Amino acid sequence: MILGLRRGWTEQLNQWSDRKELINALAGSALTYGLLTLWIGDTPVEGTTVTVGAFMTPGFIAFAIFSTGLMALPMLIAADRDEGTLLRARALPRGVRVYLVGRATMMLLTLLANIALVLLIAFPLAGAPAPATPGRWFTLAWVVVLGTLAVVPVGAVIGSLLPGPKAAAMLALPAMLLMITSGVMLPLEMLPGLVRHIAEVFPLYWQALGLRAALLPDSVLAAEVGHTWRLGQAAVVLGLWAVGGIVLAPWLLRRIRGK
Amino acid sequence: MRDVVIRVRGLRMAYGSVQVLDGVDLDLHRGEVFTLLGPNGAGKTTLVEILEGFRTGWTGEVEVLGENPARAGDAWRARLGVVMQTWRDHPRWRVRDLVAHVAAHYDDPRDVDDLLAELGLAESAGVRAGVLSGGRRRRLDVALGIVGRPEVLFLDEPTTGFDPEARREFHLLIERLAAEEGLTVLLTTHDLAEAERLSGRIAVLVAGRVLTCGSPAELAEAVRAPSLVRWDGGELETGDPSAVAWELHQRYSGPVPGLEIRRPTLEESYLDLIEKARTR
Repeated sequence: MILGLRRGWTEQLNQWSDRKELINALAGSALTYGLLTLWIGDTPVEGTTVTVGAFMTPGFIAFAIFSTGLMALPMLIAADRDEGTLLRARALPRGVRVYLVGRATMMLLTLLANIALVLLIAFPLAGAPAPATPGRWFTLAWVVVLGTLAVVPVGAVIGSLLPGPKAAAMLALPAMLLMITSGVMLPLEMLPGLVRHIAEVFPLYWQALGLRAALLPDSVLAAEVGHTWRLGQAAVVLGLWAVGGIVLAPWLLRRIRGK
Repeated sequence: MRDVVIRVRGLRMAYGSVQVLDGVDLDLHRGEVFTLLGPNGAGKTTLVEILEGFRTGWTGEVEVLGENPARAGDAWRARLGVVMQTWRDHPRWRVRDLVAHVAAHYDDPRDVDDLLAELGLAESAGVRAGVLSGGRRRRLDVALGIVGRPEVLFLDEPTTGFDPEARREFHLLIERLAAEEGLTVLLTTHDLAEAERLSGRIAVLVAGRVLTCGSPAELAEAVRAPSLVRWDGGELETGDPSAVAWELHQRYSGPVPGLEIRRPTLEESYLDLIEKARTR
Protein backbone atom coordinates (compact mmCIF):
# COMPACT_ATOMS: atom_id res chain seq x y z
CA MET A 1 0.00 0.00 0.00
CA ILE A 2 2.70 2.47 1.03
CA LEU A 3 4.81 1.29 -1.88
CA GLY A 4 1.86 1.99 -4.17
CA LEU A 5 1.51 5.51 -2.76
CA ARG A 6 5.21 6.14 -3.27
CA ARG A 7 4.92 4.79 -6.79
CA GLY A 8 2.04 7.17 -7.53
CA TRP A 9 4.02 10.10 -6.15
CA THR A 10 7.04 9.30 -8.33
CA GLU A 11 4.80 8.87 -11.38
CA GLN A 12 3.25 12.24 -10.65
CA LEU A 13 6.62 13.95 -10.27
CA ASN A 14 7.77 12.31 -13.50
CA GLN A 15 4.72 13.73 -15.23
CA TRP A 16 4.92 17.19 -13.72
CA SER A 17 8.56 17.53 -14.64
CA ASP A 18 7.53 17.28 -18.29
CA ARG A 19 6.08 20.66 -19.32
CA LYS A 20 3.96 19.40 -22.21
CA GLU A 21 2.33 16.72 -20.09
CA LEU A 22 1.76 19.18 -17.28
CA ILE A 23 -0.16 21.50 -19.58
CA ASN A 24 -2.14 18.56 -21.01
CA ALA A 25 -3.11 17.43 -17.55
CA LEU A 26 -4.38 20.85 -16.56
CA ALA A 27 -5.86 22.07 -19.85
CA GLY A 28 -8.80 19.67 -19.66
CA SER A 29 -10.62 21.36 -16.87
CA ALA A 30 -8.81 24.12 -15.05
CA LEU A 31 -7.74 26.14 -18.10
CA THR A 32 -11.08 25.75 -19.91
CA TYR A 33 -12.86 26.63 -16.73
CA GLY A 34 -10.70 29.70 -16.19
CA LEU A 35 -11.36 31.00 -19.70
CA LEU A 36 -15.12 30.40 -19.49
CA THR A 37 -15.23 32.09 -16.12
CA LEU A 38 -13.45 35.18 -17.38
CA TRP A 39 -15.84 35.30 -20.30
CA ILE A 40 -19.31 34.75 -18.78
CA GLY A 41 -18.55 33.86 -15.17
CA ASP A 42 -20.20 36.81 -13.44
CA THR A 43 -23.53 36.76 -15.30
CA PRO A 44 -26.31 35.76 -12.87
CA VAL A 45 -28.33 32.64 -13.68
CA GLU A 46 -31.90 33.67 -14.40
CA GLY A 47 -34.28 33.34 -11.47
CA THR A 48 -31.54 32.60 -8.89
CA THR A 49 -28.96 34.46 -6.88
CA VAL A 50 -25.99 32.47 -8.21
CA THR A 51 -23.73 33.38 -11.11
CA VAL A 52 -23.09 31.24 -14.17
CA GLY A 53 -19.53 30.75 -12.90
CA ALA A 54 -20.77 29.37 -9.59
CA PHE A 55 -23.27 27.14 -11.36
CA MET A 56 -20.59 25.71 -13.67
CA THR A 57 -18.17 24.93 -10.88
CA PRO A 58 -19.60 21.63 -9.54
CA GLY A 59 -20.23 20.38 -13.08
CA PHE A 60 -16.67 21.09 -14.08
CA ILE A 61 -15.22 19.36 -11.06
CA ALA A 62 -17.53 16.38 -11.51
CA PHE A 63 -16.53 16.05 -15.13
CA ALA A 64 -12.86 16.41 -14.24
CA ILE A 65 -13.17 13.45 -11.85
CA PHE A 66 -15.19 11.41 -14.29
CA SER A 67 -12.97 12.04 -17.32
CA THR A 68 -9.73 11.56 -15.40
CA GLY A 69 -10.93 8.20 -14.10
CA LEU A 70 -12.67 6.88 -17.18
CA MET A 71 -10.76 8.52 -20.06
CA ALA A 72 -7.28 9.67 -19.03
CA LEU A 73 -6.63 6.62 -16.83
CA PRO A 74 -7.64 4.00 -19.43
CA MET A 75 -5.39 5.78 -21.92
CA LEU A 76 -2.45 5.64 -19.49
CA ILE A 77 -3.08 1.98 -18.70
CA ALA A 78 -3.38 1.03 -22.36
CA ALA A 79 -0.03 2.78 -22.90
CA ASP A 80 1.45 0.96 -19.88
CA ARG A 81 0.33 -2.35 -21.30
CA ASP A 82 1.76 -1.45 -24.68
CA GLU A 83 5.14 -0.57 -23.17
CA GLY A 84 5.23 -3.61 -20.88
CA THR A 85 4.86 -1.70 -17.62
CA LEU A 86 1.89 -3.92 -16.72
CA LEU A 87 3.86 -7.05 -17.51
CA ARG A 88 6.67 -5.80 -15.27
CA ALA A 89 4.09 -5.34 -12.52
CA ARG A 90 2.96 -8.94 -13.00
CA ALA A 91 6.56 -10.13 -12.71
CA LEU A 92 6.93 -8.58 -9.23
CA PRO A 93 5.49 -9.84 -5.95
CA ARG A 94 2.42 -7.70 -5.15
CA GLY A 95 3.24 -5.88 -8.37
CA VAL A 96 -0.26 -5.55 -9.79
CA ARG A 97 -1.65 -4.18 -6.54
CA VAL A 98 1.23 -1.74 -6.16
CA TYR A 99 0.70 -0.66 -9.74
CA LEU A 100 -3.03 -0.05 -9.25
CA VAL A 101 -2.58 1.85 -6.00
CA GLY A 102 0.14 3.87 -7.74
CA ARG A 103 -2.09 4.77 -10.66
CA ALA A 104 -4.98 5.63 -8.32
CA THR A 105 -2.67 7.84 -6.24
CA MET A 106 -1.42 9.61 -9.31
CA MET A 107 -4.97 10.17 -10.54
CA LEU A 108 -5.97 11.55 -7.16
CA LEU A 109 -3.01 13.94 -7.14
CA THR A 110 -3.82 15.11 -10.69
CA LEU A 111 -7.44 15.64 -9.65
CA LEU A 112 -6.61 17.46 -6.44
CA ALA A 113 -4.36 19.83 -8.38
CA ASN A 114 -7.12 20.39 -10.92
CA ILE A 115 -9.84 20.89 -8.33
CA ALA A 116 -7.68 23.23 -6.29
CA LEU A 117 -7.03 25.32 -9.39
CA VAL A 118 -10.74 25.40 -10.31
CA LEU A 119 -11.68 26.45 -6.78
CA LEU A 120 -8.89 29.05 -6.66
CA ILE A 121 -10.39 30.58 -9.79
CA ALA A 122 -13.99 30.06 -8.67
CA PHE A 123 -13.96 31.77 -5.30
CA PRO A 124 -12.50 35.16 -6.29
CA LEU A 125 -13.47 35.37 -9.97
CA ALA A 126 -16.73 33.53 -10.57
CA GLY A 127 -18.61 34.91 -7.61
CA ALA A 128 -18.93 31.37 -6.35
CA PRO A 129 -19.38 31.24 -2.59
CA ALA A 130 -16.92 29.01 -0.74
CA PRO A 131 -18.70 26.17 1.12
CA ALA A 132 -20.44 27.97 3.94
CA THR A 133 -20.17 25.39 6.71
CA PRO A 134 -17.67 22.71 7.78
CA GLY A 135 -20.38 20.22 6.84
CA ARG A 136 -20.23 21.39 3.23
CA TRP A 137 -16.43 21.19 3.15
CA PHE A 138 -16.82 17.65 4.43
CA THR A 139 -19.33 16.88 1.67
CA LEU A 140 -16.88 18.29 -0.88
CA ALA A 141 -14.10 16.09 0.49
CA TRP A 142 -15.98 12.79 0.59
CA VAL A 143 -17.64 13.29 -2.77
CA VAL A 144 -14.25 13.92 -4.38
CA VAL A 145 -12.62 10.92 -2.69
CA LEU A 146 -15.49 8.45 -3.10
CA GLY A 147 -16.21 9.78 -6.59
CA THR A 148 -12.57 9.12 -7.52
CA LEU A 149 -12.60 5.63 -6.03
CA ALA A 150 -15.78 4.90 -7.99
CA VAL A 151 -14.17 5.55 -11.37
CA VAL A 152 -10.47 4.69 -10.98
CA PRO A 153 -10.76 0.86 -10.69
CA VAL A 154 -13.38 0.76 -13.45
CA GLY A 155 -11.11 2.94 -15.58
CA ALA A 156 -8.27 0.51 -14.92
CA VAL A 157 -10.36 -2.38 -16.22
CA ILE A 158 -11.44 -0.40 -19.31
CA GLY A 159 -7.81 0.48 -19.93
CA SER A 160 -6.73 -3.13 -19.76
CA LEU A 161 -9.42 -4.17 -22.22
CA LEU A 162 -8.68 -1.47 -24.81
CA PRO A 163 -6.82 -2.78 -27.84
CA GLY A 164 -4.33 0.10 -27.72
CA PRO A 165 -3.71 3.62 -26.44
CA LYS A 166 -5.31 5.19 -29.50
CA ALA A 167 -8.58 3.31 -29.01
CA ALA A 168 -9.20 5.42 -25.92
CA ALA A 169 -10.70 8.01 -28.27
CA MET A 170 -13.70 5.65 -28.51
CA LEU A 171 -14.50 6.56 -24.93
CA ALA A 172 -15.26 10.19 -25.80
CA LEU A 173 -18.74 9.53 -27.23
CA PRO A 174 -20.26 7.63 -24.28
CA ALA A 175 -18.63 10.13 -21.94
CA MET A 176 -20.26 12.99 -23.84
CA LEU A 177 -23.67 11.29 -23.67
CA LEU A 178 -23.35 10.78 -19.95
CA MET A 179 -22.21 14.35 -19.47
CA ILE A 180 -25.39 15.60 -21.18
CA THR A 181 -27.74 13.20 -19.38
CA SER A 182 -26.24 13.47 -15.91
CA GLY A 183 -27.13 17.08 -15.27
CA VAL A 184 -23.55 18.28 -15.50
CA MET A 185 -24.27 20.85 -18.19
CA LEU A 186 -28.06 21.07 -18.29
CA PRO A 187 -30.41 21.43 -15.35
CA LEU A 188 -31.93 18.04 -14.57
CA GLU A 189 -35.52 19.18 -14.92
CA MET A 190 -35.00 19.53 -18.68
CA LEU A 191 -34.40 15.78 -19.04
CA PRO A 192 -37.09 13.10 -19.51
CA GLY A 193 -37.46 10.77 -16.53
CA LEU A 194 -36.28 7.63 -18.35
CA VAL A 195 -33.03 9.26 -19.48
CA ARG A 196 -32.44 10.48 -15.94
CA HIS A 197 -32.98 7.01 -14.50
CA ILE A 198 -30.43 5.54 -16.89
CA ALA A 199 -27.95 8.26 -15.97
CA GLU A 200 -28.57 7.54 -12.28
CA VAL A 201 -26.88 4.14 -12.72
CA PHE A 202 -23.56 5.83 -13.53
CA PRO A 203 -21.25 7.61 -11.10
CA LEU A 204 -21.10 10.93 -12.96
CA TYR A 205 -24.68 11.82 -12.00
CA TRP A 206 -23.93 11.39 -8.30
CA GLN A 207 -20.54 13.06 -8.45
CA ALA A 208 -22.24 16.13 -9.93
CA LEU A 209 -25.08 15.99 -7.43
CA GLY A 210 -22.74 15.71 -4.46
CA LEU A 211 -20.64 18.61 -5.67
CA ARG A 212 -23.69 20.80 -6.20
CA ALA A 213 -24.72 20.01 -2.65
CA ALA A 214 -21.30 21.14 -1.43
CA LEU A 215 -20.80 24.21 -3.58
CA LEU A 216 -24.24 25.71 -4.35
CA PRO A 217 -26.61 27.43 -1.92
CA ASP A 218 -29.90 25.72 -1.04
CA SER A 219 -31.70 28.37 -3.09
CA VAL A 220 -31.02 26.25 -6.21
CA LEU A 221 -32.73 23.18 -4.71
CA ALA A 222 -35.81 24.03 -6.75
CA ALA A 223 -34.01 22.50 -9.74
CA GLU A 224 -33.16 19.24 -7.91
CA VAL A 225 -35.20 16.05 -7.99
CA GLY A 226 -37.48 16.03 -4.94
CA HIS A 227 -36.13 19.48 -4.04
CA THR A 228 -33.56 17.95 -1.73
CA TRP A 229 -29.87 16.88 -1.92
CA ARG A 230 -30.00 13.08 -2.15
CA LEU A 231 -26.59 12.59 -0.54
CA GLY A 232 -27.38 9.22 1.04
CA GLN A 233 -28.23 7.77 -2.33
CA ALA A 234 -25.12 9.36 -3.83
CA ALA A 235 -22.94 7.68 -1.20
CA VAL A 236 -24.56 4.28 -1.85
CA VAL A 237 -24.19 4.39 -5.65
CA LEU A 238 -20.63 5.74 -5.60
CA GLY A 239 -19.75 3.25 -2.86
CA LEU A 240 -21.07 0.33 -4.91
CA TRP A 241 -19.02 1.40 -7.93
CA ALA A 242 -15.93 1.80 -5.75
CA VAL A 243 -16.24 -1.57 -3.97
CA GLY A 244 -17.18 -3.43 -7.15
CA GLY A 245 -14.23 -1.91 -8.97
CA ILE A 246 -11.71 -2.50 -6.20
CA VAL A 247 -12.71 -6.16 -5.96
CA LEU A 248 -12.86 -6.85 -9.69
CA ALA A 249 -9.99 -4.77 -11.10
CA PRO A 250 -6.96 -6.70 -9.72
CA TRP A 251 -8.61 -10.01 -10.61
CA LEU A 252 -9.27 -8.91 -14.19
CA LEU A 253 -5.87 -7.28 -14.64
CA ARG A 254 -4.07 -10.45 -13.59
CA ARG A 255 -5.85 -12.30 -16.35
CA ILE A 256 -4.90 -9.96 -19.10
CA ARG A 257 -1.99 -11.02 -21.22
CA GLY A 258 0.64 -8.39 -20.98
CA LYS A 259 2.08 -8.45 -24.47
CA MET B 1 21.76 -35.45 -6.41
CA ARG B 2 21.32 -31.68 -6.24
CA ASP B 3 17.81 -30.28 -5.72
CA VAL B 4 15.63 -29.97 -8.74
CA VAL B 5 14.49 -26.37 -9.02
CA ILE B 6 12.50 -26.65 -12.22
CA ARG B 7 10.80 -29.87 -13.21
CA VAL B 8 8.78 -30.25 -16.42
CA ARG B 9 7.08 -33.43 -17.62
CA GLY B 10 4.99 -33.90 -20.76
CA LEU B 11 4.32 -30.20 -21.20
CA ARG B 12 2.02 -29.43 -24.09
CA MET B 13 0.53 -26.19 -25.25
CA ALA B 14 -1.42 -25.29 -28.38
CA TYR B 15 -2.51 -21.96 -29.82
CA GLY B 16 -5.61 -22.96 -31.75
CA SER B 17 -4.57 -25.83 -34.00
CA VAL B 18 -0.83 -25.07 -33.74
CA GLN B 19 0.98 -27.31 -31.27
CA VAL B 20 3.64 -24.97 -29.84
CA LEU B 21 4.96 -27.30 -27.15
CA ASP B 22 4.65 -30.99 -27.88
CA GLY B 23 5.68 -32.96 -24.80
CA VAL B 24 8.61 -31.15 -23.18
CA ASP B 25 10.59 -32.78 -20.31
CA LEU B 26 13.24 -30.78 -18.41
CA ASP B 27 15.04 -30.81 -15.05
CA LEU B 28 17.05 -27.85 -13.80
CA HIS B 29 19.23 -28.16 -10.69
CA ARG B 30 20.09 -25.51 -8.14
CA GLY B 31 23.04 -23.35 -9.13
CA GLU B 32 22.98 -24.49 -12.72
CA VAL B 33 23.12 -22.24 -15.77
CA PHE B 34 20.96 -23.93 -18.36
CA THR B 35 20.57 -22.76 -21.94
CA LEU B 36 17.59 -23.25 -24.18
CA LEU B 37 18.57 -23.10 -27.83
CA GLY B 38 16.32 -23.29 -30.81
CA PRO B 39 15.32 -21.54 -34.00
CA ASN B 40 12.72 -18.77 -33.91
CA GLY B 41 9.25 -20.20 -33.45
CA ALA B 42 10.50 -23.34 -31.70
CA GLY B 43 8.48 -22.49 -28.58
CA LYS B 44 11.31 -21.16 -26.37
CA THR B 45 9.53 -18.00 -25.29
CA THR B 46 6.25 -19.84 -24.70
CA LEU B 47 8.05 -22.39 -22.53
CA VAL B 48 9.79 -19.69 -20.50
CA GLU B 49 6.56 -17.72 -20.07
CA ILE B 50 4.79 -20.84 -18.77
CA LEU B 51 7.58 -21.33 -16.21
CA GLU B 52 7.31 -17.64 -15.23
CA GLY B 53 3.58 -18.10 -14.59
CA PHE B 54 2.47 -15.74 -17.35
CA ARG B 55 0.64 -18.32 -19.45
CA THR B 56 -2.19 -20.69 -18.71
CA GLY B 57 -3.93 -23.23 -20.89
CA TRP B 58 -1.10 -25.79 -20.96
CA THR B 59 -1.26 -29.43 -19.94
CA GLY B 60 1.35 -31.61 -18.27
CA GLU B 61 3.34 -31.30 -15.05
CA VAL B 62 5.30 -28.14 -14.28
CA GLU B 63 6.97 -27.32 -10.97
CA VAL B 64 9.11 -24.25 -10.40
CA LEU B 65 10.54 -24.06 -6.87
CA GLY B 66 8.04 -26.76 -5.94
CA GLU B 67 4.94 -24.90 -7.10
CA ASN B 68 2.70 -24.83 -10.12
CA PRO B 69 3.47 -21.47 -11.80
CA ALA B 70 -0.13 -21.00 -12.94
CA ARG B 71 -1.36 -20.99 -9.34
CA ALA B 72 1.60 -19.78 -7.26
CA GLY B 73 1.36 -16.56 -5.25
CA ASP B 74 3.47 -13.58 -4.22
CA ALA B 75 5.87 -15.51 -1.95
CA TRP B 76 6.78 -17.70 -4.92
CA ARG B 77 7.07 -14.74 -7.29
CA ALA B 78 9.49 -13.04 -4.91
CA ARG B 79 11.95 -15.90 -5.52
CA LEU B 80 12.00 -15.39 -9.31
CA GLY B 81 13.79 -12.89 -11.48
CA VAL B 82 12.55 -12.21 -14.98
CA VAL B 83 14.38 -10.57 -17.86
CA MET B 84 12.18 -10.65 -20.92
CA GLN B 85 13.16 -10.33 -24.52
CA THR B 86 12.07 -6.80 -25.29
CA TRP B 87 11.27 -4.43 -22.52
CA ARG B 88 10.69 -0.70 -22.81
CA ASP B 89 8.51 -0.20 -19.75
CA HIS B 90 8.60 2.79 -17.40
CA PRO B 91 10.15 5.12 -20.01
CA ARG B 92 9.64 8.22 -17.84
CA TRP B 93 11.29 6.78 -14.74
CA ARG B 94 14.86 7.61 -13.89
CA VAL B 95 17.12 4.56 -13.72
CA ARG B 96 17.89 4.74 -10.02
CA ASP B 97 14.28 5.53 -9.06
CA LEU B 98 13.05 2.52 -11.01
CA VAL B 99 15.60 0.07 -9.60
CA ALA B 100 14.90 1.34 -6.07
CA HIS B 101 11.15 1.05 -6.63
CA VAL B 102 11.42 -2.53 -7.89
CA ALA B 103 13.81 -3.36 -5.03
CA ALA B 104 11.17 -2.20 -2.54
CA HIS B 105 8.93 -5.10 -3.60
CA TYR B 106 11.33 -7.57 -1.96
CA ASP B 107 12.22 -8.35 1.65
CA ASP B 108 15.99 -8.51 1.21
CA PRO B 109 16.96 -6.68 -1.99
CA ARG B 110 20.48 -5.96 -3.21
CA ASP B 111 21.96 -2.55 -2.56
CA VAL B 112 20.74 -0.39 -5.44
CA ASP B 113 23.90 1.69 -5.89
CA ASP B 114 26.20 -1.35 -5.71
CA LEU B 115 24.09 -3.08 -8.31
CA LEU B 116 24.11 -0.06 -10.65
CA ALA B 117 27.88 0.18 -10.30
CA GLU B 118 28.28 -3.53 -10.96
CA LEU B 119 26.28 -3.30 -14.17
CA GLY B 120 28.01 -0.13 -15.32
CA LEU B 121 24.89 1.96 -14.87
CA ALA B 122 26.15 4.29 -12.14
CA GLU B 123 26.56 7.25 -14.47
CA SER B 124 23.08 6.64 -15.93
CA ALA B 125 21.37 6.69 -12.52
CA GLY B 126 19.56 9.98 -13.18
CA VAL B 127 18.70 9.30 -16.81
CA ARG B 128 15.16 8.44 -17.87
CA ALA B 129 14.80 4.79 -18.90
CA GLY B 130 13.15 5.77 -22.19
CA VAL B 131 16.26 7.51 -23.55
CA LEU B 132 18.85 4.83 -22.67
CA SER B 133 20.74 3.17 -25.52
CA GLY B 134 19.79 -0.42 -26.35
CA GLY B 135 22.65 -1.98 -24.42
CA ARG B 136 22.14 0.19 -21.34
CA ARG B 137 18.41 -0.45 -21.36
CA ARG B 138 19.19 -4.18 -21.44
CA ARG B 139 21.53 -3.82 -18.46
CA LEU B 140 18.76 -1.98 -16.63
CA ASP B 141 16.46 -4.96 -17.36
CA VAL B 142 19.07 -7.30 -15.91
CA ALA B 143 19.41 -5.06 -12.83
CA LEU B 144 15.63 -5.19 -12.34
CA GLY B 145 15.74 -8.97 -12.75
CA ILE B 146 18.31 -9.62 -10.04
CA VAL B 147 17.72 -6.76 -7.57
CA GLY B 148 15.41 -8.98 -5.48
CA ARG B 149 18.06 -11.74 -4.99
CA PRO B 150 16.05 -14.34 -6.92
CA GLU B 151 16.71 -18.08 -6.63
CA VAL B 152 15.74 -18.64 -10.24
CA LEU B 153 16.52 -16.17 -12.99
CA PHE B 154 14.94 -16.30 -16.44
CA LEU B 155 17.02 -14.56 -19.09
CA ASP B 156 15.44 -14.28 -22.52
CA GLU B 157 18.20 -13.21 -24.93
CA PRO B 158 19.81 -10.99 -22.31
CA THR B 159 22.89 -9.72 -24.14
CA THR B 160 21.27 -8.49 -27.33
CA GLY B 161 22.80 -5.08 -28.00
CA PHE B 162 25.70 -5.47 -25.55
CA ASP B 163 29.16 -4.49 -26.69
CA PRO B 164 31.84 -7.20 -26.18
CA GLU B 165 33.07 -5.67 -22.93
CA ALA B 166 29.57 -5.38 -21.44
CA ARG B 167 28.85 -8.92 -22.56
CA ARG B 168 31.96 -10.22 -20.82
CA GLU B 169 31.12 -8.33 -17.62
CA PHE B 170 27.63 -9.74 -17.77
CA HIS B 171 28.90 -13.30 -18.20
CA LEU B 172 31.22 -12.89 -15.22
CA LEU B 173 28.34 -11.55 -13.12
CA ILE B 174 26.06 -14.47 -14.00
CA GLU B 175 28.82 -17.00 -13.33
CA ARG B 176 29.52 -15.39 -9.98
CA LEU B 177 25.84 -15.34 -8.97
CA ALA B 178 25.44 -18.99 -9.93
CA ALA B 179 28.59 -20.04 -8.07
CA GLU B 180 28.29 -17.88 -4.95
CA GLU B 181 24.56 -17.57 -4.39
CA GLY B 182 23.36 -20.81 -5.95
CA LEU B 183 21.33 -18.86 -8.47
CA THR B 184 19.70 -21.10 -11.06
CA VAL B 185 19.58 -19.53 -14.50
CA LEU B 186 17.46 -20.48 -17.48
CA LEU B 187 18.88 -18.68 -20.47
CA THR B 188 17.56 -18.50 -23.98
CA THR B 189 19.92 -17.16 -26.58
CA HIS B 190 20.88 -17.27 -30.22
CA ASP B 191 24.49 -16.63 -29.30
CA LEU B 192 26.09 -20.07 -29.33
CA ALA B 193 29.37 -18.78 -27.92
CA GLU B 194 27.43 -17.40 -24.98
CA ALA B 195 25.67 -20.73 -24.46
CA GLU B 196 28.98 -22.60 -24.57
CA ARG B 197 30.66 -20.12 -22.26
CA LEU B 198 27.96 -19.93 -19.62
CA SER B 199 26.06 -23.13 -19.40
CA GLY B 200 26.69 -26.51 -17.99
CA ARG B 201 23.88 -27.95 -20.03
CA ILE B 202 22.11 -27.01 -23.20
CA ALA B 203 18.73 -28.17 -24.45
CA VAL B 204 17.81 -27.78 -28.08
CA LEU B 205 14.15 -27.11 -28.67
CA VAL B 206 12.83 -27.63 -32.17
CA ALA B 207 9.14 -27.60 -33.13
CA GLY B 208 8.02 -27.85 -29.51
CA ARG B 209 10.22 -30.81 -28.54
CA VAL B 210 13.53 -31.11 -26.73
CA LEU B 211 15.74 -32.79 -29.31
CA THR B 212 18.72 -33.20 -27.06
CA CYS B 213 19.91 -32.07 -23.68
CA GLY B 214 23.41 -32.14 -22.23
CA SER B 215 26.82 -30.46 -22.10
CA PRO B 216 28.16 -28.89 -25.31
CA ALA B 217 30.39 -31.98 -25.77
CA GLU B 218 27.49 -34.36 -25.26
CA LEU B 219 25.50 -32.30 -27.69
CA ALA B 220 28.19 -32.78 -30.35
CA GLU B 221 28.23 -36.49 -29.60
CA ALA B 222 24.48 -36.79 -29.81
CA VAL B 223 24.54 -35.23 -33.22
CA ARG B 224 27.57 -37.29 -34.26
CA ALA B 225 28.80 -34.34 -36.24
CA PRO B 226 32.11 -35.58 -37.66
CA SER B 227 35.48 -34.27 -36.51
CA LEU B 228 38.07 -33.33 -39.09
CA VAL B 229 41.50 -35.02 -38.94
CA ARG B 230 44.13 -33.40 -41.14
CA TRP B 231 47.84 -34.18 -41.60
CA ASP B 232 50.55 -33.62 -44.21
CA GLY B 233 49.33 -36.19 -46.68
CA GLY B 234 45.57 -36.14 -46.35
CA GLU B 235 42.43 -35.33 -44.38
CA LEU B 236 39.52 -37.39 -43.12
CA GLU B 237 36.10 -36.70 -41.60
CA THR B 238 35.39 -39.16 -38.82
CA GLY B 239 33.14 -39.74 -35.86
CA ASP B 240 36.10 -41.22 -33.90
CA PRO B 241 39.11 -38.93 -34.37
CA SER B 242 41.21 -40.55 -31.67
CA ALA B 243 41.07 -43.98 -33.42
CA VAL B 244 42.15 -42.35 -36.67
CA ALA B 245 45.03 -40.56 -34.95
CA TRP B 246 46.22 -43.84 -33.42
CA GLU B 247 46.09 -45.56 -36.79
CA LEU B 248 48.07 -42.74 -38.40
CA HIS B 249 50.59 -42.87 -35.60
CA GLN B 250 51.21 -46.52 -36.28
CA ARG B 251 51.31 -46.00 -40.05
CA TYR B 252 54.04 -43.36 -39.67
CA SER B 253 55.67 -45.38 -36.84
CA GLY B 254 56.06 -42.14 -34.91
CA PRO B 255 54.78 -38.57 -34.83
CA VAL B 256 52.30 -37.72 -37.58
CA PRO B 257 53.54 -34.69 -39.55
CA GLY B 258 51.24 -31.66 -39.27
CA LEU B 259 48.54 -33.55 -37.35
CA GLU B 260 45.51 -31.45 -36.59
CA ILE B 261 42.19 -32.57 -35.15
CA ARG B 262 39.24 -30.22 -35.30
CA ARG B 263 36.22 -31.18 -33.24
CA PRO B 264 32.87 -29.77 -34.38
CA THR B 265 32.05 -26.42 -32.79
CA LEU B 266 28.81 -26.06 -30.92
CA GLU B 267 27.54 -24.07 -33.86
CA GLU B 268 28.20 -26.92 -36.27
CA SER B 269 26.59 -29.44 -33.95
CA TYR B 270 23.61 -27.18 -33.47
CA LEU B 271 23.07 -26.44 -37.16
CA ASP B 272 23.51 -30.12 -37.96
CA LEU B 273 20.88 -31.01 -35.40
CA ILE B 274 18.36 -28.47 -36.70
CA GLU B 275 18.99 -29.67 -40.26
CA LYS B 276 18.40 -33.30 -39.30
CA ALA B 277 15.21 -32.39 -37.44
CA ARG B 278 13.93 -30.55 -40.48
CA THR B 279 14.58 -33.31 -42.98
CA ARG B 280 13.31 -36.06 -40.74
